Amino acid sequence: MGALLDIKGLRKEFGGVTALAGVDLTVNEGEILGVVGPNGSGKTTLFNCVTGVHKPTAGTVSWRGRDLTGIPANAVSRAGIAYTFQQAMAFTGLSVFENVQIATEHCSNTLANFPWTTPASLLEFVGLSGLSEEKAGILPFGRLRLLGLALALATRPSLILLDEPAAGLNDRETTTLVHLVEQFPEHGISVCVIDHDMKLMQMLCRRLAVLDFGSKIADGPTADVLNDPKVLEVYLGGAL
Amino acid sequence: MPVSNSLRSLLPVLILLVLFALVPLLSPSNRFLSLAISAGINVIALYGLSVLFGQTGILSMGHAALVGIGAYTAAIVARDFNVGFWLSIPLAGIMAAIVAALIGVPSLRVSGHHFVIMTFAFGQLLSIILTNGGDYTGAASGLDVQQPVALFGLSMDVLTHYYLMVVSFVALSAIASWAIINSRYGRTLRAIRENEKLAASLGINVGRHKIGAFVVSGIFAGVSGVLLAYFLRHISPSQFASFPSIYLALMVMIGGARLLLGPLAGGILVAFLPELLNLDPVQSRILYGVCLIAVILLLPNGLIAGIVAGWYRFFDRRPVQPNEPAVEREGK
Ligand SMILES: Nc1ncnc2c1ncn2[C@@H]1O[C@H](COP(=O)(O)OP(=O)(O)OP(=O)(O)O)[C@@H](O)[C@H]1O
Ligand SMILES: [Mg+2]
Repeated sequence: MGALLDIKGLRKEFGGVTALAGVDLTVNEGEILGVVGPNGSGKTTLFNCVTGVHKPTAGTVSWRGRDLTGIPANAVSRAGIAYTFQQAMAFTGLSVFENVQIATEHCSNTLANFPWTTPASLLEFVGLSGLSEEKAGILPFGRLRLLGLALALATRPSLILLDEPAAGLNDRETTTLVHLVEQFPEHGISVCVIDHDMKLMQMLCRRLAVLDFGSKIADGPTADVLNDPKVLEVYLGGAL
Repeated sequence: MPVSNSLRSLLPVLILLVLFALVPLLSPSNRFLSLAISAGINVIALYGLSVLFGQTGILSMGHAALVGIGAYTAAIVARDFNVGFWLSIPLAGIMAAIVAALIGVPSLRVSGHHFVIMTFAFGQLLSIILTNGGDYTGAASGLDVQQPVALFGLSMDVLTHYYLMVVSFVALSAIASWAIINSRYGRTLRAIRENEKLAASLGINVGRHKIGAFVVSGIFAGVSGVLLAYFLRHISPSQFASFPSIYLALMVMIGGARLLLGPLAGGILVAFLPELLNLDPVQSRILYGVCLIAVILLLPNGLIAGIVAGWYRFFDRRPVQPNEPAVEREGK
């Protein structure tokens, strides 16, 4: 169980706004790590800087010992890191099947015993088999999120970054999602997940990192972090 | 998409082209054949433009300049190296592809808006270069093309033969465009059209594929330029300046860029409508402008997509082509 992803001193400024003020974070092989923090604390920016959507202002991202800092998004995907966006995304003008087909066709990663190598198996896994001929644009929001998950999985990642995967889902859909994500580690896929839903985070994550104003203020076993006075202060009157 | 399903988009185009190939049996006038040949030559370029605009979602406003690269390549290799029609087809395709890559690399790495402006500027630049090229390009008066065209000993310089040859080239371009649309490559281009950010996150090199699509559309344009040069027997810079480029963009928008019938419909309509309505050039420009506005407002995916949508709405059925968003857009 070594560090898969090792982020050091990651900094991102947008004009005068410091979205990330030097964050250190590691994701270990086989774990589901949670990242929480108030709105605007830099969680999405952290993911964007790792996945090549943004170039970090300073700091390094290393992946299995290889430097990934500032490389383009498609190269990050090819290195084995998948990303589902906070705004659920799919190719809305294309059919559900074609969406997943495109993603599988571009997969260049090889992961031993990966169970979802075909569009059909991916759609079955996320429960969208019956909708494969529908246009992605007509899917209700929850289904669109599941399609986004299937697209990310299709790249056969070793690490998947989920940005608020349960936002906008109803209770039943959230339960389905938890059930799906829980299976990832046993197939060799580590997970790093952002969400505001603490119940969901407690179910999924053994370890939690907390961001506030672009800095990491806590990192450790979920129960400890949730009782940390610094964290309680940040969330005073909030979700906890 | 199953092959049988995708064949259904190619078949109507091929049937139409077979019918067009029978037109000489009705002994049409030379005027009609000439118009039809010009339309067909445009349609070849339009099939390339439809890969770029319809599949990838980027618009070239200087496409006639790439046609011009093809035409001038044919005229120059014929004059300087005695290279005939058939060999100049691949040469012109390659030249236009190289030029497309040279324009595409700096401009497509940035964004779509820059690209439209860059292609427009390139069109202007090319006509300035051709006009000031001295004897090499024939300056403002242009170049003659004298080599005869023959196929299996049969002269293609007979108007009817040239017409049939152009129809065959249109069929080849339609098939090439269809093959691209239904391939992994075509799906990649559509992914980029739909959502660049998502495409990149799935490992697709967005910049490289956009340049690739422009290069592919350049090959079609180059081939169409050879046919144009050998048909007109004389080419000059003004034929490839900004107006012809705007016309090409207009034709692909009017016909619709995503369906295989679109380029055919756009090319034919724009060539024959002024003739049918007996309009002078100024009136026909006004008509095109009005058509374009009407199509953009009423049928954002072009005439053919609009007709298909109307048809399915009328019969309350679902469209057969799952990758065509026309019906959905119409329904909103
Ligand atoms: N592209 C951008 N341009 C300018 N500022 C940005 C950009 N993206 C994020 N920011 C700013 O960076 C800060 C962190 O934003 P970020 O989206 O990372 O927060 P977050 O923790 O994901 O919040 P939320 O929980 O609301 O999703 C905010 O102040 C935001 O306004
Ligand atoms: Mg966010």
